[in-house]
Amino acid sequence: VIGTTRRAFLTGAATAAAFSPKLSLGQARPRIVVIGGGFGGATCARVLRGADRQFEVTLVEPNPTFTACPFSNVVIAGLRDIAGQRFGYDAIRAEDIAVAHDEATAVDPQAGRVSLRGGSTLDYDRLVLAPGIAIRWDALPGYNEAAAVAMPHAWLAGDQTLLLQRQLEAMADGGTVVISAPANPFRCPPGPYERASLIAYYLKKAKPRSKLIILDAKDNFSKQRLFQNAWQQLYPNLIEWVSLSNGGKVISVDAKTRTLVTDFATYKADVANVIPPQRAAGIAQLAGVTDATGWCPIDPVTFESRLQPKVHVVGDAAIAGAMPKSAFAANAEAKACAVAVAALLHGEMPSPPKLINTCYSLVAPDYGISIAGVYHPAGGQFAEVEGAGGVSPIDAPADFRALEAAYADAWFRTITAETYG
Amino acid sequence: VPPLRGQNPADIVAAMQAFRSGERPSTVMGRIAKGFSDEEIRAIAAWVAEQR
Repeated sequence: VIGTTRRAFLTGAATAAAFSPKLSLGQARPRIVVIGGGFGGATCARVLRGADRQFEVTLVEPNPTFTACPFSNVVIAGLRDIAGQRFGYDAIRAEDIAVAHDEATAVDPQAGRVSLRGGSTLDYDRLVLAPGIAIRWDALPGYNEAAAVAMPHAWLAGDQTLLLQRQLEAMADGGTVVISAPANPFRCPPGPYERASLIAYYLKKAKPRSKLIILDAKDNFSKQRLFQNAWQQLYPNLIEWVSLSNGGKVISVDAKTRTLVTDFATYKADVANVIPPQRAAGIAQLAGVTDATGWCPIDPVTFESRLQPKVHVVGDAAIAGAMPKSAFAANAEAKACAVAVAALLHGEMPSPPKLINTCYSLVAPDYGISIAGVYHPAGGQFAEVEGAGGVSPIDAPADFRALEAAYADAWFRTITAETYG
Repeated sequence: VPPLRGQNPADIVAAMQAFRSGERPSTVMGRIAKGFSDEEIRAIAAWVAEQR
């Protein structure tokens, strides 16, 4: 199917090139392959398409529908249907972007070629990798793919999200929910704490004798004061946070007994949500763009890999300095990367981008908090612009929290419409 | 909330500067506007105004 689509593109190329405002007659259409159809990859493909009609853009994504992670904690708390998390690729396909629902199994940076599981290959002039994260199944003794059925991670939205939601629903009142949060860096830094908040909201309403313990491999976390302040106010004595210094780091788990072990204690859970250590998804390793950390070092102006030429990396898989691994950041990085790739293909020098991130978290359906930042390349990495950004005020009134909850919802509708609508 | 696209660039510049100074109250816009210079704000306004 891909072969046919690409041949159809190529047939039109000679005619189209004659009318190209950017490319001279006889020049071949630049071919760009984007791997990963999430907030980073899908956005990048669309912006590349808008940058120059002559670009031949192919988006490689195995799943026919995308399931979004932002707001999936609301699904886990039973307050939102997972259908609201799902988005298709029809609008992207309609924009003359070839969408290959196939899995990239190899990248040859020397030849400029991607191999797909289906047997076909895609040649590229520039490759953009936006593969997201993979769970490190080797990082936590006792935690493997089988264990993730009894103790879901729910850190890749979809079946895992529903699994955790059903386990919470099935739990008896008076049960203990344990969340294990990983060390930095990981996808969505405030995510474990938003999840704890919304599960607490559910427990308080439906199972008020229950409790929730967060075992943390860190001593501090994103929006910490705001979360802890809200927990005290909304869920007193329901959430217990055990920091690294207080023995919170989980060193092994046993799925059969739903037990989590730290250096100091053993926790028996009725529902266990293990959020394990992560790395860049597999294709990044196969392409040779990951370093010893498991993530991808990049140039902050072009997003080009520091390890392989003509391969760019955006989103959670990239090491983007002070920028967090969030959907907002992936979307912003993807736009800047697309503009840089277009400039490079036109023989121009890309300009340094200035990017924004805002992460909203819900601690209750009508109680939102946020962290924002503005970033620019400095010293070869993304650094925060000083004097900008920060978190919501600690002493804000209820209407401010309600407004931020409404803005969280508006943000999700906006970013998904821009990426998939 | 009125859509941003197509708005008068001078109005966008004034709004961004008021967010930045804190003269115009906001939840998140003040925190973001503080990261941008007058020149960058003018460039943002010109781009947003062009969108249809």
